[in-house]
Amino acid sequence: MKTKEEILIPNPRELKNHTKKVLKGNTAAAIAAKICRATFVTAYPITPQTSIIEEIASMIARGEYDAVSVNMESEHSVFAAIKGASLVGERVFTATSGQGLLYAHEVLHAIAHLRLPVVACNVGRPSYPWNIWCDQSDSLAQRDTGWIQFYCENSQEVLDTIIQAYFIAEKLHLPVLVVLDAFYVSHTNENVFIPDQKSVDAYLPSKINGQMDIDIYHPKAFGGLVAPDMYDKFNYLFWEDMNRVEAETNLAGTKFEKDFGRKYSAVESINIHSDTKKILVTLSSITTTVRGVIKDHPEVGLLKIRLLKPFPRKSILKALNKVSEDCVLITVDRNFMGDNEGALLSEIKKAMYGQTRKIFGVYAGLGGRDVPPATIQKIIEIDINSRESGEIVWIDR
Amino acid sequence: MKIIDILEVRGHARGGQGMVTAFEILAKIFSYCKNYEVQAFPFFGVERTGAPIQAFLRISPNPILNRSNIYNPGMVVVFDEGLIESTAVFDGLAERGIILINTTNQPSFYKGRAKNIYTVPATKISVDLKLGSKSLPIVNAAMIGAILKILDADIKTAQEIIRKEVPAKPEANSEAAEIAYGCVNFWKDESYKINDSKIKPVAVPSNHLPVVPYWEKPMSMNKTGNWRVLEPNYLTRQPPCTDNCPAGTDVRKFVNLVSNKKYKEAYEVIYNNNPFPSICGRVCPHFCQQNCNRNVLDEQLNIGGIERFIGDINEEYRFESVPLKYDERIAVIGSGPAGLTAALRMRRMGYAVTVFESAPSAGGMMRTGIPEFRLPENILNNEIEKITEQGIEIILNTKVSVDDVAEDFSAVVVAVGSHIGRQMNVSGENDSIEGIEFLRDIKLNKNQSKITRGDRVAIFGGGNTAIDVARTVLRLGGTPTIYYRRTRHEMPAIAHEVEEALKEGVKIEFLKAPVQMKKSISGLFQLTLVDMKLGKADNSGRKRPIVMEGTERTLEFNKVIKATGQTFDDFVFQNEKIIVKQGELEFVPGNIKIPIFCSGDMAWGGTVVEAIGSGNEVADEVNACLRNIKFQKKIINNDVVSSDQINYNYYLPIPSQPNRFKEIINLYNDFSEVVKGLKEKEVVAESNRCLHCGDCFKCGNCFNYCPDAAISIDEENRMRIDYDYCKGCGICVNECPSSAIRFGEELVVKERDKLFIKNRLN
Repeated sequence: MKTKEEILIPNPRELKNHTKKVLKGNTAAAIAAKICRATFVTAYPITPQTSIIEEIASMIARGEYDAVSVNMESEHSVFAAIKGASLVGERVFTATSGQGLLYAHEVLHAIAHLRLPVVACNVGRPSYPWNIWCDQSDSLAQRDTGWIQFYCENSQEVLDTIIQAYFIAEKLHLPVLVVLDAFYVSHTNENVFIPDQKSVDAYLPSKINGQMDIDIYHPKAFGGLVAPDMYDKFNYLFWEDMNRVEAETNLAGTKFEKDFGRKYSAVESINIHSDTKKILVTLSSITTTVRGVIKDHPEVGLLKIRLLKPFPRKSILKALNKVSEDCVLITVDRNFMGDNEGALLSEIKKAMYGQTRKIFGVYAGLGGRDVPPATIQKIIEIDINSRESGEIVWIDR
Repeated sequence: MKIIDILEVRGHARGGQGMVTAFEILAKIFSYCKNYEVQAFPFFGVERTGAPIQAFLRISPNPILNRSNIYNPGMVVVFDEGLIESTAVFDGLAERGIILINTTNQPSFYKGRAKNIYTVPATKISVDLKLGSKSLPIVNAAMIGAILKILDADIKTAQEIIRKEVPAKPEANSEAAEIAYGCVNFWKDESYKINDSKIKPVAVPSNHLPVVPYWEKPMSMNKTGNWRVLEPNYLTRQPPCTDNCPAGTDVRKFVNLVSNKKYKEAYEVIYNNNPFPSICGRVCPHFCQQNCNRNVLDEQLNIGGIERFIGDINEEYRFESVPLKYDERIAVIGSGPAGLTAALRMRRMGYAVTVFESAPSAGGMMRTGIPEFRLPENILNNEIEKITEQGIEIILNTKVSVDDVAEDFSAVVVAVGSHIGRQMNVSGENDSIEGIEFLRDIKLNKNQSKITRGDRVAIFGGGNTAIDVARTVLRLGGTPTIYYRRTRHEMPAIAHEVEEALKEGVKIEFLKAPVQMKKSISGLFQLTLVDMKLGKADNSGRKRPIVMEGTERTLEFNKVIKATGQTFDDFVFQNEKIIVKQGELEFVPGNIKIPIFCSGDMAWGGTVVEAIGSGNEVADEVNACLRNIKFQKKIINNDVVSSDQINYNYYLPIPSQPNRFKEIINLYNDFSEVVKGLKEKEVVAESNRCLHCGDCFKCGNCFNYCPDAAISIDEENRMRIDYDYCKGCGICVNECPSSAIRFGEELVVKERDKLFIKNRLN
């Protein structure tokens, strides 16, 4: 019987140091953890994330992946355990979703403020009313925990972003949350190019710059009380490094393009030029559908936010550099944060402080509600002239 | 077919048929073999096996710039034809679109549904290749084959990928795809015109959800009943207590009536099978308790204590005599528990019954063999009186044979018991006292002269007679020692009786047997004993005792009593040697014309309750014989609730209410009852310990745990399942503490077959 590789037909788009496979976003995330050589993985199941940790456990069981996977009794413990493992210099990974991430909230603060280079995946789903489908309110509710957040458009980007996430996390001593959309990415099989191990090893440092290697002759305790002056200093340093994230993201993306041929940056601008009349601002999988729809709308641009936290203000202003003053921004929020405006609209408004540009907010696709091309068309067709700047539209009402 | 632009496929199936895997494999086939861009993803709910699901597949030569569901597919694939009626599977299909249906129907059957109609018998192919189960065949490989045929792809290369990608049975799956590839049917509906009203988007949620969604009854928007492949049903199963009772008493039922303080009703339940509740409450070994599932949790239920209380509290309860219905008269020889139970049961059926008893009072072994301190006489008298009051004539002091009654009766039941002691074949044994006679003399004649105060008494045997003799000797002032040739483990006596005897001061020596007894002129016995050891098991399953040579020693005793088993008095068969068995005798003695039936100790058993069971059975057999109907023995119930079927998480350990005993100060001449009954409070507490094995006791677990709220409680406080919403998850089955819900497949399969047939006829 021939192996799968033998029946493969070479693809002109395929790069030399890659293998093409049809993978789900979740499988791509698991493979990323493996090729990044994460050595310690904690697991607690929750739909739609479960197949990530299942795939990792299977790879370990099959002897394809050298790591320790530990089943925990809750997400709080899942993150507490990787906190400990990261403290002693292990490269760690885990994945969760929705209620699981909300439950881990307390430890997320600890991981960030202990400056641990943790990388975790979150497959976005909302909380209540009970729902398992695509939504970003779970990860957006963690914006203030001190984690860097990336939002991925497809399975390839999930895999590539996790590799870059370790690079950034270990350089800046900051944790990274890589967010993928439930089902539209997590369970969607598509072509993914998997880089070979040698290239990934070359991109990532082989030994992470752990703060606290285990040294049994010099035992240490963590979590003690920190006096006000120390606390202030500690946060100042955190703030300084947080301000470097945007530049480091672009740097990591450029280096990645050099090594793997795919370019990444904090934001991506598509069809944005001096004649652009409207720009849709999007996160994650909705971006793909917008790409398709605007092919018939040369006057409509697309601004994809890949790095959400810290919000890449410089990159956004640079992208809008040549755009005329009357071009409007329309944010598409797949989250309801208990506020008048969605998270993306809030962030964009903050970034646009001091500018006179018109901004509108659209709520679309909450709780997995599908956003087909027809819905994008409807967003483009919103009559902005008759509306006040800052108005909110529920597109499916 | 070359895909020049994007092809969008939408699939409809049930969870478990493998559609999601099928679309994933198709994506791989088109990516690996043809270098297409692909996208395959499911629309999942919180579903499980059997639920209708959707999956989407996009194949394109160019990058796919759409990440949303498919509303206007070029091709619709239906994995389960049952979905056609319940789901809008063809909605949004393009006018020149393709449909592929898994069915044995011809494509023209679906006229008017689409222009290009394909069918494939994927279920048949999969079932033939044993892929999945009958209720849920896994049809994905066959469907892949059919889709590849329609898209004109190469099946051989695809089969390589199928073999690698399926989770199990690679060869069978690959074969299924190949077979399906070869038997796709096609029909073009030239007249098909798209009707605009047919284009409705699917999978768009309703706008009319409440602000805060809540469900107080099954989620009406989600009729999940048709997902079911296994169906839960409430049922009543046999509990081990009832199953183990030789009399067939419905133990669980009467115990539960007691817990509700319905003592009269509980008495009636027992009386249906057993006219001696007060007696059995005292002397029965309680087979019902021995396999009680409560044993796993803490201690068995004290069913005997409950039964005794119910018997005693209903002392005054009286039954009406039923009118005679038949002309036949039946003779019963022997008024023990078997004879009287059979007599009463036949009298209640409407037969005239006469009981003959050789002794001066009725009761058989209950009268002559069980000492007063275990069974007070007034208890026995009362229960026999209740029987005679129901129209049974007992002729006392009359020893008859079957010949004597053959003239006047239509049938005779022989239940003479086992009142003749067996020989031990030891020299000098004729000078010893026969245990069963000793007990009879004490009870009937109150003759205590056989034992003098201070006598050293040797007793041989290990059964209830030996124990009763020893305890009686103790009360007459003697010093009893029981010699038994096996160990305590093999003793046939009721365990708790042995316990009580030891407590009272009876000495038991195991692995000892007599080889010689000699009575001297002074009246003393010189008894030679020998040690035994246990060998291999004999036919009865007990280990055979073997003499250990050279261990003989001689002891001196005042009296020797042997209780090494009894047999029946064959006077009843005119001393003819008849081999007896339960029920009608095949070989009748002499020239007797009427049927003869045997029952009680002489046929089998050896306890009161077994005699009662034997009496019940023989009564039914006599009736069947006289009414000329085929007699059927009680069917052995194989569906008995075992302890591994009980969910002990839902029961708390509760201490048992043990029987109390009379304080022993001085047993001399004290024949008063040793065991005291339970008080009402204790009996109710004990009955509440019942686990209700195999019976719904309305605990409400199923109601609480049903994720679809498909279980309700009706006006009569019974649990009801709404099968429109029951998706067959089985949580109720797991969470039922008492194993009173069955989980079966057949009903669902039948239901579905019926639906298919109905759909085809339409």
